[in-house]
Amino acid sequence: MNVPMQQSDATVPTDELATESAQRPPRGLPFWANPRLGLLAVIVVLVLVFSSLRSSFLNTDLTLVPMQQDLSVFLVVGLAQLAVLSLGHMNLAVPRMAAISAFAMGWCYQHLSVPLWLGLVAGLIVGAAVGALAGWIISATGVNSFVVTLALDFALVGLVSLLYSHIGDGVAFAAHPAGMNTLRNDTFSDYCAGNVCGPPVPLIVPIALLAAVLVALLFRLSRVGREILMTGSNARAARLSGIPVSRRVVQAHALSGTLAALAGFLLAINSGAFSADIGNSFLLPSFLGPVLGGTLLSGGAVSVLGTIFGAALTEVIRTGLNLLNFSVQDLNIYIGLVLLVALSLDRVRHVLAERRGSRA
Amino acid sequence: MTFIAEQIVKVFPGVRALDRATLRLEPGTIHALLGENGAGKSTLIKVVTGVYQPDGGRLLSTAEDGSLTELSFGGPLDAQRAGIGVVHQERNLVPAFSVAENIALQAVPKRRGFVDQEAMRGLARRCLDRLDVHLDVDRPVSSLSVAQMQLVEIAKALAVDSKVLLLDEPTASLTGDEAEALYTVVGALRDQGHSVVLVTHKLEEVFAVADTMTVLRDGRSVAEAQPLAEHTRDDVVTLMVGRAHADLQLDSRSVDTTTAPALELENVSTAQGHHNISLHVRRGEILGLYGLVGAGRSELARAVLGLDAITGGTVRISGEPVRISSVGQALQRHRLGYVTENRKEEGVFLDQTIARNVSVTVWRRLARLGLVRGNDERALVEQYREQLGMRISGPTQLAGQLSGGNQQKVSLAKWLAADCDILVIDEPTVGIDVRTKAAFHELIVGLADAGIAILLISSDLPEMITLADRIAVMSEYRIVGELDNDHRYERTSHAVIRMIHAEIAS
Ligand SMILES: Nc1ncnc2c1ncn2[C@@H]1O[C@H](COP(=O)(O)OP(=O)(O)OP(=O)(O)O)[C@@H](O)[C@H]1O
Ligand SMILES: [Mg+2]
Repeated sequence: MNVPMQQSDATVPTDELATESAQRPPRGLPFWANPRLGLLAVIVVLVLVFSSLRSSFLNTDLTLVPMQQDLSVFLVVGLAQLAVLSLGHMNLAVPRMAAISAFAMGWCYQHLSVPLWLGLVAGLIVGAAVGALAGWIISATGVNSFVVTLALDFALVGLVSLLYSHIGDGVAFAAHPAGMNTLRNDTFSDYCAGNVCGPPVPLIVPIALLAAVLVALLFRLSRVGREILMTGSNARAARLSGIPVSRRVVQAHALSGTLAALAGFLLAINSGAFSADIGNSFLLPSFLGPVLGGTLLSGGAVSVLGTIFGAALTEVIRTGLNLLNFSVQDLNIYIGLVLLVALSLDRVRHVLAERRGSRA
Repeated sequence: MTFIAEQIVKVFPGVRALDRATLRLEPGTIHALLGENGAGKSTLIKVVTGVYQPDGGRLLSTAEDGSLTELSFGGPLDAQRAGIGVVHQERNLVPAFSVAENIALQAVPKRRGFVDQEAMRGLARRCLDRLDVHLDVDRPVSSLSVAQMQLVEIAKALAVDSKVLLLDEPTASLTGDEAEALYTVVGALRDQGHSVVLVTHKLEEVFAVADTMTVLRDGRSVAEAQPLAEHTRDDVVTLMVGRAHADLQLDSRSVDTTTAPALELENVSTAQGHHNISLHVRRGEILGLYGLVGAGRSELARAVLGLDAITGGTVRISGEPVRISSVGQALQRHRLGYVTENRKEEGVFLDQTIARNVSVTVWRRLARLGLVRGNDERALVEQYREQLGMRISGPTQLAGQLSGGNQQKVSLAKWLAADCDILVIDEPTVGIDVRTKAAFHELIVGLADAGIAILLISSDLPEMITLADRIAVMSEYRIVGELDNDHRYERTSHAVIRMIHAEIAS
């Protein structure tokens, strides 16, 4: 055995070495381990597959416009969940926060005949208040968000049906405030300036995108959003760094409620009525978008762009399978499978990163 | 068995953490593994114990007859089976489990397929007794202090019988007496023919207990398995740093005693059990709060910061009685900051970037219209990177990827950035290398010279005597004495230790 016992050359200055190694480009993970790029690739492949199987997949009126409308709703639904995933919390009451806000909006239109925007504002306030209540219960009692929002959802189910049967008009409001049908039916291509017409994009799409941009800015640049993320990353360290932890928890949940309300509004516009079943289909999609897009369930990091891609992927699969005449049950099976596969991939990514001694 | 890690290479994204490092362990020796923060000590230990796969080099062991076997560990369990025990630098205890459960984790005694509770407690008690530690083995680990956790971690490593035992900064948060108990055990292990590796930044301990040493610099071994007897302290530091280095020598400082104290406690009692605590710090003064592990120093700081309840007495800031309810309030209203001793759980956000870690306390100040600009943050990181000698690849690196000492720098930097008038600093140089420690000391004195009042909590008596203007001694949640520090080690240390022992005897 011959282990070298010499004293190696001890003359290299430390700092020089340090900067040299710092300038070497980081050896990252393979590209498919980047969830956003991977998603985009899968979306492109699926679009190609579906459109070659059914040419109607690329038909503007039949498929593309309704797809964008659905996508807008589910993007905002995903953002509502993302708002609390940032804390490492969950909001299982997203469906009913949307429902009760939609009730508030419908009631305002019906009984107060307010303009469209004012009813929306009222609904957003209701959503924010219910969300804040959830956040307050969680931070005051220390009970897990899963349990609190599950219980809250359960209570709201009862409340919403009670409200519709007593002060609503059965299962839906009949009122159609001015502008509702325009918002539902028109696309930008209906508006022309001279010979130039807009693209076939429904009018509600910019509303959803605006929400996404605002949420992204909030978490990336604003102090409050960053402090929410730090709280999600390590609540004890956050408290000891002077962050008002309980206030941030309440704010994140209030944001979640507000976004749920917005999603309820968009769905009511799409379906043409403020009705009791708004929100029923929201729970799974609320997790699909963010989780497919790489937002961690453990908190501390969110990806709005990923959520957009995640929601888009779900929508492409749903529409494609629909065109291929899959039944609703089949559809649910496949969507569930997609989520499982995505979560496993996430795990694989983590393990891979760990092996290489770096964090994902 | 002689154990050799030969020419080990380990590359992380952007960093070559180990660059042909060699570690050679003879049976029956205590081997010191030395190097500055970020030199690669912990990484080498993780390679040797199967946590990381090396990118180059090999692990060998030789039998009595001189035959070589190449070892390869798929994971930590393989290394453990091969007789290699370890205490990692970062604690790996399960907070919700009891002390006994944690200690017995790798060697759970079973009876008919079920955990034998009594045998488990017995094992835990024996391991703790060897270290001369008296702890209720049924307490959940989450209720222990940092130092107690460290002792439990060491006891856990002793619970399995290993031929090679690697200790990564085992005494970082221990005081003299506890460290001594540990070294008695380690000495006994050596006499039984085990080899023990000791990583520490406390060079006095190295010279007191170790036989041989390996020095790492930037991932390379610049001295391999050399007998310590042939080296002086200055040699060793030169090997680590790459050039000669002198420790900080301080003279007595003068403090303006005419103004009201910046922070004053009068007869304060707390829910934790503190009784009639009175002390004060003036602007520009460093008050040292010394005591053994478990004396209640950090707990007192936490109560002042509003993290625990104060049940009696008065806290005054600049003469005004105050009631502080949170760290945020202390920072914004009273410009009072607290650097926690508990780096991993409370000091840094491991999965966030260095930029966010350093700037979290000052977003309020950096924000324009509620928005924080990335440039301001990065400028802040660059400033402290230079000032504290942080070894990082850039502001967007994740804090969890830094070496222990560099994480400590991040945790301190965020409070330096906060621009406080009063700083409570809890164990600032735990796990910090000699050169940086001197830089930290200079920095702390500089802060005091700039008029900041500093309450310094430290278990490192030499550090206390270097820095403090006055030293208050705490034992069992009471102040047992206070003395003016003349920066002379012999006299002051004797006086301090006498105070503690007099209290314990009575
Ligand atoms: N998981 C990781 N990902 C990326 N870089 C890492 C990782 N772990 C360690 N490093 C880098 O490797 C280098 C060596 O780190 P290591 O923890 O071995 O230092 P150390 O000698 O133990 O220092 P300290 O005395 O501060 O504990 C450092 O530059 C560190 O930033
Ligand atoms: Mg280390």
